[in-house]
Amino acid sequence: MVSDVAPAVRVEGLTKRFGRRWALRGVDFQTPPSTVVALLGANGTGKTTLLRVLATLLRPTGGTAEVLGADVARSPDAIRRSTALMTPLGHAYDELTGVENLVFAARMCDRPAGRDGLLELLGAVGLEASADLPVRSYSTGMRKRLELARIRLIAPRVVLLDEPFTSLDGAGVELVQDEIGRWRSEGATVLIASHLVSEATRHADRTVRLREGKIVEEARP
Amino acid sequence: MKGQKTLGLVSLVGVGACTIFALFVLPPDRLQGEVQRLLYIHVPIAWVAMLSFFMVFLMSLLYVVQRKLKWDLMALAAVEIGVLCTALTLVLGSIWAKPTWGVWWEWDPRITTTAILLIVYIGYLIVRSMSDDPDQRARWASVIGIIGFVQVPVVYLSVFWWRSLHQPPSSPRSMASAFGTVMLLSFVAYTVAFTYLMIRRYRLAQKELAIEMRGPEEAP
Amino acid sequence: MSDLLRRASAILRKDLLTELRTRQGISAMLSFAALVLFLFSFAIGPNTALLGQLAGGLIWVAIIFTGTLSLSRAFQTEELAGGIRLLRAYPGDPRAILLGKLAGNLVLLSILEILLFPAAGILFQVDFLPHLGPLLLVAALGTFGFSIVGTFFSALTVHARARELLLPLLLFPALIPVVLGAVGATDEILKGDPLGRLAGWVQLLASYDVILFVVCLWIFPVILEE
Repeated sequence: MVSDVAPAVRVEGLTKRFGRRWALRGVDFQTPPSTVVALLGANGTGKTTLLRVLATLLRPTGGTAEVLGADVARSPDAIRRSTALMTPLGHAYDELTGVENLVFAARMCDRPAGRDGLLELLGAVGLEASADLPVRSYSTGMRKRLELARIRLIAPRVVLLDEPFTSLDGAGVELVQDEIGRWRSEGATVLIASHLVSEATRHADRTVRLREGKIVEEARP
Repeated sequence: MKGQKTLGLVSLVGVGACTIFALFVLPPDRLQGEVQRLLYIHVPIAWVAMLSFFMVFLMSLLYVVQRKLKWDLMALAAVEIGVLCTALTLVLGSIWAKPTWGVWWEWDPRITTTAILLIVYIGYLIVRSMSDDPDQRARWASVIGIIGFVQVPVVYLSVFWWRSLHQPPSSPRSMASAFGTVMLLSFVAYTVAFTYLMIRRYRLAQKELAIEMRGPEEAP
Repeated sequence: MSDLLRRASAILRKDLLTELRTRQGISAMLSFAALVLFLFSFAIGPNTALLGQLAGGLIWVAIIFTGTLSLSRAFQTEELAGGIRLLRAYPGDPRAILLGKLAGNLVLLSILEILLFPAAGILFQVDFLPHLGPLLLVAALGTFGFSIVGTFFSALTVHARARELLLPLLLFPALIPVVLGAVGATDEILKGDPLGRLAGWVQLLASYDVILFVVCLWIFPVILEE
């Protein structure tokens, strides 16, 4: 399909090796902006690796990857300013409270670090009661919500979600789905890697299935 | 391959000739006696150890800038030769020191720095063994190669300063006079041998890497 | 530049806050340092004159042993939080991580030294007060030298399988100038610097600090790559 809009994400011949193991074996893929893409596949098929390469956490072994026109190897910093990766366990320090973790995140990305704004964010994900409790005391579901708040704080244009639905109860899953819907309507591009097909594809404009480091199927759900 | 064989032959002949000359043909030294012959091996080997070390630094730098694995392989070759030569330098030096100074070891800046150099090399090799991934291994190793090179001169200076405070500056060593023709030729011969060994080891490392790395189409 | 400092300070504040909450690090350091001092005193014997002579060396050995203990913890907290790669996912120069961790290490060691020097003074019957100025300078230079290489190598070895072996092995050659310089300078200060050698030691320490700081800072991003 020819499009005259520059793709938000473009990957060509991407390979990634860890020692003797090839996690990505030549991935070709692109997606226009303001779309939601579901990356499907069992564990170990390369979904996490692909997201990490796009988040510039991993350098490609071969091939190219571009996010919003910036090459992951040559301009990683530009990508980091506009992209956020949500990992399954999140990025939070146990000894700090929910608010303090967000303060840290805000300072690291140059976002407003005022307590009121951050409390509001925590309220939006249902954590206002635990805002001043150390993350050590949070359940897995609460940590996930905190991670969601952190991504919201960053307000990225490309959102990479790695298994966002695991460890969440029904309300939590709905929260994430609402967030995905909101991102899409705000014009962000969302990539969701998940083995939970029905959740991942709910808002998806396209699905991409990976197996053994290669794309085996692309479709519109 | 032909060039490599010639180089190997030249190295063997060169080193062999110098060694034979030093050990059997030259007259014994007036002051130090027979043991002085060891210096004709010890000093050029020490020189090769320093040369290797510089090579490691250079190759590490080149890797960091260009990210081509060939530089990492060359650095590895240089380190392996360097470890060997440094260890030999220390052993031969020790053997020379016992009859000459009466002790196996001295806290002399040169000797101490050589021992530290050995430790740095060993650290390099251990760091390499930490990773299966050729790229990550190269990254970590090149960091050690660069930092190590920067550290060693400062170590030398600090030990030198430390020693000069605790001992009068006249050290019992008198090496400067021994730079005769044989010594000079030994330097050349050992450097040629070093080059040969580097090339051989590098080519071997290339093959080892090729076995390690398999293409994306093959099953893991 | 201010962006770099802002993020480094964010990391520093986070680490200090964590340390304040648990107090694990600092109390472990303090008890370990006390242990080292006492053990050495017993090992050397009640010869007060001898202990006084060795005071400089003993203090710095205690600082370095204790410092090495706390080094790995700086990056362990990152591992528990999801890994240092997630810290690197934030925009900006990754060197902020090195600077932040370095500053944290410096703060902890400074607290240790403020308590250690007087304690050593009492144990070894050495009076540090008349030499406070020069001692502060030497302590600062020595601690900085230790911290920069220590933090750097900690970052390098955080993923290593044989970290307990590798970190001391890598650190040892790097610390020789620091130990020789710091102990040499401390000894000269305590003796009143009769031969004017203090300047030489201070210069050695300062140059070492600058060279290693620049090189470590420059090459740090390479360690973080994957």
